Amino acid sequence: MPKLVVKNIRKVFGTFEAVKNVSFQVEEKETLCLLGPSGCGKTTTLRIIAGLEVPTSGEVFVDAVFVNDVPPQKRQIGLVFQDYAIFPHLSVFENIAYGLRVRKMPVAQMERKVHETAALVDVESILDVPGKKLGLSEMQRVAIGRSIALDPKLLLLDEPLSNIDAKARERMRVELGKLQKEIGIATVYVTHDQLEAMTLADRIAVMRNGLIDQIGTTGEIYDNARTLFVADFIGSPSMNLIDCELVYSEQRAILKSGDFTLDITEFAETIKGKPKGEELVFGIRPEDVSIDIKKTDPTAIEAEVRLVELLGAKSIYHLKIRGLTVLAKDYPMAEVNFGSKVWATFNKDKLHLFDKKTEEAIF
Amino acid sequence: MARTKGVAGKIVRYLLLIVVCAWTLAPVAWMVSLSFKGPTEWYAPNIIPAQPIVDNYINLFIPTNPIGGSHFFTSITEPITKPLINSLIVAGFGTLFAVLVGFLAAYGVSRYRAGGTFTIFFTLLTRMLPGATFVAPLMVFYSSIHFIDTYVGLILLYTAVTLTYAIWLMKGFIDEIPPEWEEAALLEGASPWTVLRKVTIPLTKGGLAASALFIFILNWSEFLFALVISVTQVTTLPVQISKYVSAVGRMYGTQASIGIIATIPSVALGYLIQKHLVTGFTFGRIR
Amino acid sequence: MEITDRLAQWMGKTESFKKLSTLPLSLVLNFVLIVPFAIMIYLSFTKWEPLVGYDWWRAPTAGIPRFIEAFGDVRLAWALIRTATFVAVVLPLEFLLGLGMALLFLGDFRGKKAFTSIILYPMMMPWVVVGLGFYLMFQYFGPVNLLILRPVFGEGAMIDWFTDPVLAFSVIMVADIWQWTPLMFLIIYAGLAAVPRRLVEAAEVLGASPSRILRTVRLPLIKPLVVIALIIRGLEAFKVFDIVYIMTGGGPGGNLTEVISLYVYKLAIVYNNTSYACAVSLIIMVAIALITRLAIRPLEVKVE
Repeated sequence: MPKLVVKNIRKVFGTFEAVKNVSFQVEEKETLCLLGPSGCGKTTTLRIIAGLEVPTSGEVFVDAVFVNDVPPQKRQIGLVFQDYAIFPHLSVFENIAYGLRVRKMPVAQMERKVHETAALVDVESILDVPGKKLGLSEMQRVAIGRSIALDPKLLLLDEPLSNIDAKARERMRVELGKLQKEIGIATVYVTHDQLEAMTLADRIAVMRNGLIDQIGTTGEIYDNARTLFVADFIGSPSMNLIDCELVYSEQRAILKSGDFTLDITEFAETIKGKPKGEELVFGIRPEDVSIDIKKTDPTAIEAEVRLVELLGAKSIYHLKIRGLTVLAKDYPMAEVNFGSKVWATFNKDKLHLFDKKTEEAIF
Repeated sequence: MARTKGVAGKIVRYLLLIVVCAWTLAPVAWMVSLSFKGPTEWYAPNIIPAQPIVDNYINLFIPTNPIGGSHFFTSITEPITKPLINSLIVAGFGTLFAVLVGFLAAYGVSRYRAGGTFTIFFTLLTRMLPGATFVAPLMVFYSSIHFIDTYVGLILLYTAVTLTYAIWLMKGFIDEIPPEWEEAALLEGASPWTVLRKVTIPLTKGGLAASALFIFILNWSEFLFALVISVTQVTTLPVQISKYVSAVGRMYGTQASIGIIATIPSVALGYLIQKHLVTGFTFGRIR
Repeated sequence: MEITDRLAQWMGKTESFKKLSTLPLSLVLNFVLIVPFAIMIYLSFTKWEPLVGYDWWRAPTAGIPRFIEAFGDVRLAWALIRTATFVAVVLPLEFLLGLGMALLFLGDFRGKKAFTSIILYPMMMPWVVVGLGFYLMFQYFGPVNLLILRPVFGEGAMIDWFTDPVLAFSVIMVADIWQWTPLMFLIIYAGLAAVPRRLVEAAEVLGASPSRILRTVRLPLIKPLVVIALIIRGLEAFKVFDIVYIMTGGGPGGNLTEVISLYVYKLAIVYNNTSYACAVSLIIMVAIALITRLAIRPLEVKVE
């Protein structure tokens, strides 16, 4: 029984269609991430689930209950805002206890619950500190604690890490991941950071312009991007995407881009029916492009290194191949520098091909 | 919030709003009504005059013998043109000086930290203390230097009394201008006066105007000091009104008309500076 | 012209500008306020009246008796009590009504700007005209009696408002409330509107009803503002003079609605009891200065 069902949600603000048609489900204990650039409608969708906005059309079911007409007070949903919205005039204790007091929980029980929650989010040492004196990561933990103290059916998080500086963000991401596993509530998580989504979510819904481009597990999204947008958005560094066209010559199917050619005859079955000359885009992730000083692979192509980014375990090589710029992610090699000539091999198993016009994946 | 106010809520809200508006408009509405009524209707409950007249207003400027016959106590014997002009002069110059002195002081305090904490505290003090507590020594002092019933005397008094408002208000506006622009001008060799003239004043024009209008409203309405200082020469409009209420007895229509005349300028100006009213009344503490 | 040149040069320097900028201020204040203040202190130690025959600076020092007289002055005590009552009644009512109005105006609705404009104008009216307006309304043959009391409660319900001291005082208080509630409304409304919407939404999601949100989120957050507003309004209310003078002149019975400002005024101007007026004024000034200094300083620090 899914905890949350969102069906054909549409939201219009005046003349602006923020959310066009969004549907998804979230199971118990599952974390779904709404991922997308700003303005794609993900926060609006979240607010609709919380009850802070009324959808223009569409239905929301929480725990199989139709909640469109239910005010946010009664939905038993936890919501953590982007800026945490901690009550500045109340102490951490009172912030967490706020919802419990609303429910008129008996004092002893309430105190226990607050301490429990505080321990869970690691704010026990600052229970007396007033809200306005908290640091950002403390605020975030209090915000989460405040929401989960009520044992909500569903937890919603709106870009919880976007306010934190890069260094702390990594640490918080790990903490958040641990917390989610511990608490185990169905969660919907909104972000524009694909790395966050990839690390924290069980499933991801990639959104763009009020629509979901693709929804699936992190693995599916990463390996089987169904649209050009998803392919480009996910992955760091982004997938290499190169405009090309399909030509047939001597019984071989070839992708041609300028001087560059790539033989894809092994996929001839899949692309059967595609007329030649059609505009296509092929994509390959940098980690699926390997380089070597010697031509060890017969299909390797000669490339010139334009830039080397040393990132630690692996380096990113900016290659120039027959006029195209291709990024490759491979182990650091001392001998390879600016201007070096190397041989680049494309892992054809990981090749993606998109129709340029429809932006849909062919394979 | 989106769902909690239904149609019923809206109706209640508008009903309450109408009640509040009625309560707010009542006194003035009644005064307007009275001012257009003849003596026969002064004791009647109707709001719309059955036979509207403008005599009440005309009589203020061109006094005739008792309106409505001799069973009223006294008549108006002098036109209100003089008090009207007096009010304009005194309020106008009082405002002018308060703005000039206050602006200069506010600028000095804001940019150069002029004046110690005592100056600030003292200006606040002038607003905290009841005006009546000044009246006794003021009379003594003024009569010794022959300032009683003079324009100078009253104008100076008004200036002193509204300086607090002037300084706090204008300091707020000055503080809003980033000092960098003035510093740039200073670095180019301009004197502080030139900086004032060429940089600060043009930038704070709006705020200055609003402050000036606010202070004018205060001065126009001022009563106690005008009552004390004036004898025959510098009677202002509020003082004249008080004379009517005591001496003229039950001439409601005329009292109402002079009230309306006195109200119009200050309310008109008040609407011009609507947004700044709160700032003014709270000495710039709340914007 | 060397002197004027040097003068102009000196004036242009920053140091001198600093002193010059507050010079006019000091001049005016010193002249108009400090000199009389000094006179007041001096006179309170003498016994002098304008008609006594000799100039005031030649008045014989009489020591403290004036002050002792003040402590035995029953009329003074009554004036103070009345004024304190006035403030104690008017302030909370203005706050509550202002709060009510602010809540009424919260949120968007058609005509909001227009309604807001209408509500504001009482603050802009000259005080005496406000007094006049209510004086006219509460006349025996005025609209309050004729349009409200008589139609609803019958002929016998018409009240002579200004002959009974308590009723007259009530009318005065109503006038003040009428005039200044809009100010409280504006201040409170500004404060409430400044409460971040996020906080309200957070409270909603946590299950709080609108009234609970008001109590636990909105009101606590506007407390500092409200405190300032109450102090400022309280000080002004204490000084009330114009409306009392116009509406009752202190009467009925000469002094049954007399507030402190009116009493001091009468002492100085009507009874010409100058030195006593000075003594009383001095006592009041000192009292107010002390009280405000004690009460406001710690508050100011907290609010800043």
